[in-house]
Amino acid sequence: MTVIETEPPAAASGDLSGEAYRVAMRRWLRANLPANFRSDSAAFSPPTLPQSIAWEAAMYRAGLAGIIWPKGYGGHGRTLREHLIANQEIGALAMPESVNSIGKELAGPIILAVGTEEQKRRFLPAILEMRDIWCQGFSEPEAGSDLAGLRTRATRSGDTWRINGQKIWTSGAYRAQRCLVLARTGPLEDRHRGLAMFAVRLDAKGVRVRPIKSIDGRESFCEVFFDDVEVLQSDALGAPDEGWAAAIRVLEIERATNRMYRAWRFENELRHVISACKADPVLAQLVAERHYEVRLGEIVVDIEVLKAHVETAVDALVNGDRIGARGSLAKLHWSEAHQRFAALTLELLNQASLPLHPAVQVARRRFEAIYLQARAETIYAGTTEIQLGIIADRILQLSKGK
Amino acid sequence: MTLTGEGLQPSEFAVTAARAVADCADLSLREQARHLANDGLLGVMASHDVGGLDLPLAFAVPVVAAAGAGLLGFPLMEALLLGRVLQETQPRTAEAVVSGEMLATIAWQSNVSAAREGESVVLNGWIARAACAREADCLLVRIGESGAALVSTNSNGIVVEDATGLDLAVPEHAVHLEGVTIPAANLLPENTWRVLCSDANVLRAAAILGSAETCLTLAQEHASTRRQFGRALSYNQAIRHALARQKLGLEGIRHAITRSVGDEAGALQRDAAFLAAGVYGSAISEGALQIHGGMGFTWDVPVHRHLRRVRALQAQGDASEVLAALGRRYVGAIAPASDVTASR
Ligand SMILES: Cc1cc2nc3c(=O)[nH]c(=O)nc-3n(C[C@H](O)[C@H](O)[C@H](O)COP(=O)(O)OP(=O)(O)OC[C@H]3O[C@@H](n4cnc5c(N)ncnc54)[C@H](O)[C@@H]3O)c2cc1C
Repeated sequence: MTVIETEPPAAASGDLSGEAYRVAMRRWLRANLPANFRSDSAAFSPPTLPQSIAWEAAMYRAGLAGIIWPKGYGGHGRTLREHLIANQEIGALAMPESVNSIGKELAGPIILAVGTEEQKRRFLPAILEMRDIWCQGFSEPEAGSDLAGLRTRATRSGDTWRINGQKIWTSGAYRAQRCLVLARTGPLEDRHRGLAMFAVRLDAKGVRVRPIKSIDGRESFCEVFFDDVEVLQSDALGAPDEGWAAAIRVLEIERATNRMYRAWRFENELRHVISACKADPVLAQLVAERHYEVRLGEIVVDIEVLKAHVETAVDALVNGDRIGARGSLAKLHWSEAHQRFAALTLELLNQASLPLHPAVQVARRRFEAIYLQARAETIYAGTTEIQLGIIADRILQLSKGK
Repeated sequence: MTLTGEGLQPSEFAVTAARAVADCADLSLREQARHLANDGLLGVMASHDVGGLDLPLAFAVPVVAAAGAGLLGFPLMEALLLGRVLQETQPRTAEAVVSGEMLATIAWQSNVSAAREGESVVLNGWIARAACAREADCLLVRIGESGAALVSTNSNGIVVEDATGLDLAVPEHAVHLEGVTIPAANLLPENTWRVLCSDANVLRAAAILGSAETCLTLAQEHASTRRQFGRALSYNQAIRHALARQKLGLEGIRHAITRSVGDEAGALQRDAAFLAAGVYGSAISEGALQIHGGMGFTWDVPVHRHLRRVRALQAQGDASEVLAALGRRYVGAIAPASDVTASR
């Protein structure tokens, strides 16, 4: 593992709070984020996997991962409000997405919720220290939006389970050590009863991972095949038929609080595109026209509304509420707002004068990638149509019957 | 209502306000004023000295939302704001407004010049979007960039035009001011208008929230009771998804308002709440109309009244200019990228 030399993690200590905590996190991030990690910089070159791992491990040591996890499991034992503060600071900088967000934001919380004491001690510190990168094996060729139809099967004999089947769209499986697998233990007709969750080692015998090239030209997601893969009971998460309930809980978390920095990252993107436009004579004039003032104003409103959704969710969680289906509101809003914004950035940058100003080149490279990646945002973590269905069914409780 | 101001929650006002609004249904404007005043609702934000409750803006939000939900035909937002705006310089007028004795309103659009003549000031120009100006005793007018003046409506030189505008319950008037003389003391300090508008935008968002919530409830009820093709409308995914989008918009307005009255809120959050309310509020009321089908286009279904109000409030707050200004401020605050690094 490449070691990233960082300043001492002064802010990890527990005695800072509120604004002092924010300032410490901001200072640390700005002093330590490698220049080539910043996609708004001319020095940007995508970090290698070892670089990402070293950087995220350093972030953890500085107090910027596992923020609300209990100290006993390697966490920093801080409040959700501090988690939000840290995320605001993370979002403010154009840094790459975590290579272990599935571990930190999905597997971790679910293990905290349904894992055994032994599992918590074994899995959680390894996630934070970046020894175990996780991926999420829910979707299958025949079960996308309709997860209750999944066919990957787990059969038990004694203390050992055998898993057979296939997963697809498994983000980051090629670089992961563990996969959170949702598998069927009962008959297919049972739909969401008889589903169990497992922490499967990807180097286990019988696991095959095949990358799939996606529209952004990257190999970000994979097919994962399970051929008689042996999994010990100690790697089963929760009771055998609790799998569905646990999966729903995971997905609610994914929608409500995952990548909480989004609104602040969108703001960073907005600032970036404006600053790039202002460096070009033609674009500088365009963004000063009423038409674009209005359209940029609309993006600002979108971002402010997203912040309002996120902060309300944090308030609710702090008050001990379960977010439940309401996570779908924020998910729906951010995914569509980001697509609107990404399309506008392309429209603006495409009108640049020639020769291209270097700042416009940097921005184009970033925003063309963002535009393509944003197309997935209304698909993963539940499509737009699925979110609308959840809001109709579970929040509005509209009758579907005769 | 007996209140001490301590330990109160804004939500507690919602219930009182909803009941008071319902009671106002068949009353004249003057009766409504006294009725609302008796419940303490006109003085929520005004100081104790003028008979108010001296509570922050957040407490006026549920009151105005209830007025929106119940389509109150009274310039409530204006009264709430005037009680506070006038409390320092015109305490007697503020007191009269808070107690419901005097009917006051605000002209949200104007082009008025003020010339000093000894102890008096002479006003000339046009104002518009003055809710209930025909019946009001006095109105607040914007002077210059951010000043304001209080004008008595029976002054010489005032001509109130017939009402225009979409909102029928709270008709908006245009007024012509020709050499209207007011005492110099009625000229309010510079900056009055700016503060007023900023608060007004939050309250407009609240009024729209109330209207939008009512529209969504009506649409939801209709979708589950109206049957076509042998099933409730709500069986159809197109209808379910339309309603789900309306719900997303409604919660967006609600959260944006909550944020705009929070401790760290400033002009940006307030403008955003108002603009979000305008956009989502119109979409929700227009969507509710659509879900009602032909019935939605009739006078009998109240959805159009809400739609009218939402659109009127959007215009009173000059939403399109607020939006452009928001973009302009944002663009203006950001430095051009240098060659080396784009942003920091
Ligand atoms: C970039 C990316 C990363 C991903 N990463 C992961 C991952 O790490 N792990 C993982 O498990 N999965 C992952 N996924 C998979 C993702 O969760 C699924 O693609 C998604 O749930 C949709 O399933 P599907 O692709 O089978 O499409 P389908 O379910 O076949 O849907 C196709 C279309 O039909 C619509 N549709 C489906 N059902 C309904 C309905 N009832 N009503 C109305 N419309 C409907 C959908 O909204 C969509 O528009 C990822 C996907 C992408 C794009």
